[in-house]
Amino acid sequence: MIGEVLRRALGDRVRTLAAWCVGAAAYLAMIVAVYPSIRNASGISDLAKHYPDVLKELFGMGAGINLASAAGYLDTELFSLMLPLFLLAMAIGTGAGTLAGEHEAGLLELVVAAPLKRGSVVVAKAVGLTVELAALAAAMIVTLLIAGPLADMSLDRPRMAAAVLAAALLALMHGALALAVGAATRHRASAIGVPAALAAVGYLVAGLAGLADWLSPFRYLSPFHYAGRAPLESGVDASGLIVLAIVTVVLVGAAATLFQRRDMASA
Amino acid sequence: MDAAIETRGLSKTYRGGVQALSGVDLTVNAGEVFGFVGPNGAGKSTLIRSLLDLIRPTAGTARLLGIDSRDPRSRERVGYLPGDPRLHPRLSGRAQLDSLLRLRPVGGGYEDLAERFGAALDRPLRDLSKGNRQKIALIQAFMQRPALVVLDEPTSGLDPLVQEEFRSLVRETASSGSTVFLSSHSLDEVQHVADRVGIIRGGRLVAVDVVEAMLERSVRHVSVRFAEPVDLKTFAQIPGVQVVDGDGPSLSLRVEGSMEPLVKALGGERVIDLTSTPADLEEIFLGYYQEQGE
Repeated sequence: MIGEVLRRALGDRVRTLAAWCVGAAAYLAMIVAVYPSIRNASGISDLAKHYPDVLKELFGMGAGINLASAAGYLDTELFSLMLPLFLLAMAIGTGAGTLAGEHEAGLLELVVAAPLKRGSVVVAKAVGLTVELAALAAAMIVTLLIAGPLADMSLDRPRMAAAVLAAALLALMHGALALAVGAATRHRASAIGVPAALAAVGYLVAGLAGLADWLSPFRYLSPFHYAGRAPLESGVDASGLIVLAIVTVVLVGAAATLFQRRDMASA
Repeated sequence: MDAAIETRGLSKTYRGGVQALSGVDLTVNAGEVFGFVGPNGAGKSTLIRSLLDLIRPTAGTARLLGIDSRDPRSRERVGYLPGDPRLHPRLSGRAQLDSLLRLRPVGGGYEDLAERFGAALDRPLRDLSKGNRQKIALIQAFMQRPALVVLDEPTSGLDPLVQEEFRSLVRETASSGSTVFLSSHSLDEVQHVADRVGIIRGGRLVAVDVVEAMLERSVRHVSVRFAEPVDLKTFAQIPGVQVVDGDGPSLSLRVEGSMEPLVKALGGERVIDLTSTPADLEEIFLGYYQEQGE
């Protein structure tokens, strides 16, 4: 029954997911491996002080974060952009492919012709997306847990895990938006484009809100604002995560309702 | 006993204003083989996809095995072959069929069907020819031993031997008490297997009749070559026969309804060759239209 939709969604993605995990782990390990030479280069923090304000804000060191500390270093090098980007790219790709992509390819016709509620097909796809993101997040956490001590990094482990999971939740929200846009438009291209554009704008707004007063009120519209900035240095704010979780649930509900109502396109 | 399929006033207007179905009232009885015939674009797939709740009618209702088609339970004992079946390109036939079996509450099996149709189960579906993919698609429609099988243009892409095997499967399915609903753009394709035929044209159900009556009304084009010139008048007098062209020993005729009077008249002549072109659907439509107009 409906479990098969989840099983199939994950089965189709196993190889891609493995590639994402290996790629992300390799990138994270490389960033960690560079840390000892950065820490001992005393000029780095001074150099960073002279970065333009825009770059400092975007890289999550606006508040004068110390690049030479492990937490400050990882916040700037990973958590400000690259780590969320890995999770976002996978979430949006999966969210768009699993519903709009399969719909466009005609692969959902026989699934929906089975005695299933269409809305539950969408929920199964959303669960599959969550499992995938959890796997990628787990690969990242494990990589940092192993590589960190090897590079002589002292990390607050629960805080690090929370920071990765917060980024995964941010990605899940964008993936849920891909599901909803895919359910509404049935086109994979717009199911990728809309959440990708939101991610780009959201990143800039949250990053630059501290510099431009006029931009500041808009930061509440950016999902990145709720995922938190510099999560290793300042910790993850639970209330922001609750906002992201609620928006995610609403988006999945919208996707299920839209998909339930609309005609299936003929292949 | 509930009808296998029952539609009342089923209408569908697509966005953009194309009216694909208008007020279709159709009843398909349990245990019969029903041929649903119409030219391309007549609304066959629209009706079939409304039955399976893949698209929602603008007006009217449909019931499958007594359950409203909007209720997913109406499809529990229904097998479906789409007009353009898309199967998972990376899966093998076996993995695809297993996956589709697990989507449904009732069990089933496909080994016997696969053997019967000579289907390749272990190769990825993207490596199969269109005909071999169509076999897998056909198997999935029958593998649950469904009480109702809905088939949209089932024989497209199948070679004649497989088509014959398919027809005997349809007959067996019906004799085991299940209902088979199959669409086609040609009456010829369904006349050997269907008990009754419905004709759809321009989104309207034009006629529903038993196959024999449908053929009775149909028009055939018959060409005859004789050993020696014949008298055209003898043939012009036969009821239902119209001489289209006569040139010495060759004769071209239009025969409406039964072939019997013509065959009797031919019995007295030395016939060298005889060809009969099967009933043209368009002419059957016209026949029913004229009747409706009268």
